[in-house]
Amino acid sequence: MRAKLNRLWRRATWSWSPASEREASTAIVENLWLHWFPAKVAEESFSWSYSLWLGTISAFLFLILIVTGILLMFFYVPSTQLAYWSIKDIHYVVGFGWLLRNQHRWAAHLMVLAVFLHMLRVFFTGAYRAQRSTNWLVGIVLLLVTLFLSFTGYLLPWDQLAFWAVTVGTNIAKEAPVVGSALQFVLLGGTEIGQSTLVRFYVLHVVVLPAAALVLFAYHMWRVRRDGGMAVTDPAAAVVATPQDAASVGGKTYSLFGVTPGTSLETRAAGPIPDGTGVFSAPHMLRRLMLVFLAVFTVTIVLSLISGAPLEEPANATLTPNPAKAPWYFLWLQELVAITTLRLGGFTLSGGLIGGILVPGVLLMAGVLWPFFDRSPLHTVGRWFPRERRLQNGVLCVIALIMLVLVLIGMLMRGPYWQLYWPWQAWPEMPRRL
Amino acid sequence: MSPSPEPERRRFLQWIGQWSVVATVLTQFAGVVRAFVPRVLYEPSKKFKVGKPGEYPEGVTFVPMHRLFVIRERNQFHVISATCTHLGCCVEWKAKTDEFDCPCHGSKFKADGTAFAGPAPRSLSLHPLSVSGDGFLVVDSGKSVPANYRFAVA
Repeated sequence: MRAKLNRLWRRATWSWSPASEREASTAIVENLWLHWFPAKVAEESFSWSYSLWLGTISAFLFLILIVTGILLMFFYVPSTQLAYWSIKDIHYVVGFGWLLRNQHRWAAHLMVLAVFLHMLRVFFTGAYRAQRSTNWLVGIVLLLVTLFLSFTGYLLPWDQLAFWAVTVGTNIAKEAPVVGSALQFVLLGGTEIGQSTLVRFYVLHVVVLPAAALVLFAYHMWRVRRDGGMAVTDPAAAVVATPQDAASVGGKTYSLFGVTPGTSLETRAAGPIPDGTGVFSAPHMLRRLMLVFLAVFTVTIVLSLISGAPLEEPANATLTPNPAKAPWYFLWLQELVAITTLRLGGFTLSGGLIGGILVPGVLLMAGVLWPFFDRSPLHTVGRWFPRERRLQNGVLCVIALIMLVLVLIGMLMRGPYWQLYWPWQAWPEMPRRL
Repeated sequence: MSPSPEPERRRFLQWIGQWSVVATVLTQFAGVVRAFVPRVLYEPSKKFKVGKPGEYPEGVTFVPMHRLFVIRERNQFHVISATCTHLGCCVEWKAKTDEFDCPCHGSKFKADGTAFAGPAPRSLSLHPLSVSGDGFLVVDSGKSVPANYRFAVA
């Protein structure tokens, strides 16, 4: 009965419906909205526990940031005279402006977290090996863009928090060998943080970096498909991949702007997933994406209702808040910067150079080069913590743990003059307010 | 199409064409980079008056507007910058312990500006002093002087 009703409904509302899997695939690939997706997706890629959907979560947080960011731009004035007061207006005068700003703030913090966790996931599952190493590099650049987006956004409220975080940040840039001073000068647009700095950071924050992130994101996604989908599907694909099957499909083939030779696997009508296996991305993937978006959106809204974005006193170049703390994701660097100054006889190596440039630089280089030195067997790709990768996964665990501990020390245990206190211990003097 | 009678000339012209595009793009890029290095700074002058010598009591006085300390020992004056040599935060004078403490990362400096604890790699800067025609102390914060610098006011 139900099947009959269904058929009736189709005949009443559809001029055409797919008669075969291939036709269904073509319908997805040729649709304006759906052609982003591969026609069919291996069911393994939907696993919640494999990917934790962290990449998708990052992308949706970025979407929320773009929408709330554009709305905030209508009310924000990037001038040293007006910036603070326009933020105050957004928070206390503009209708629901506080919600916009809180959501933007929460989405930004969560995006840094999600991107970082996504990177850890990809490492722990070895999903950066062989053909996927390029996308790993793209991912590292995306992480840097995310951090820089967050850092440039930090200055815009022009309050004490903003001013001193950026003072410390740009002074770290100054510690870079040879180019340091020039870099700081160009970043600030002068010798001190002022109007030129604010405009530079503003344009980077609202145009240059988001554009860069979008282009890189598009390439990142295209690359996932080119490289054979998610690593978790590799074992299954290895069994069923038959080149002549792929060649036999007519339909549309394209590569990136015609620059890269060959066709990407999934734009062939059915991809490496043979008829009868896998599921169509519409509706199966679409439904999950909507579910993830709903969850991400709800979390940012709920957090925005619980806790708001801070706004301290207007920026004051003559009074450093005590203690002055960087945003939490840079606290491990601030901790390093504060404890790594070396004194060898009369020769001093600044903590700004060691903790701010050398340590993160070495970590970054290790990340960039690792796919090319990794010799673990390829059959471990796509599994969490395989025995053969115990050592390298263990090392990354330790590094991530050290970072976490440093962040927690910075957040909870640093008091006035950067002295160590237990979280429950009272500070001898409370931070001075204006 | 018949083979070109002068393939070398054709290749050369092609080469010129391709590299002139590259050169144009690079030149324009260099111009863009240059635009981001300011030619004029609309910043306050590095040389400024900090009041008359007689206004300063004995000891250390913080001048917030210019982020520096004016130190008076009878008729001897010197000026120590309040900008921490670690990462540019504003140090505070602690009369109780006779030292400058930085709130950001815990650097400590002795009363003469010497760094002795925390991450600061260098001592605080001292700036040269002079007296203007109308009797004001003038600081040149663009220049540095050794730690034993003292300026005597008659």
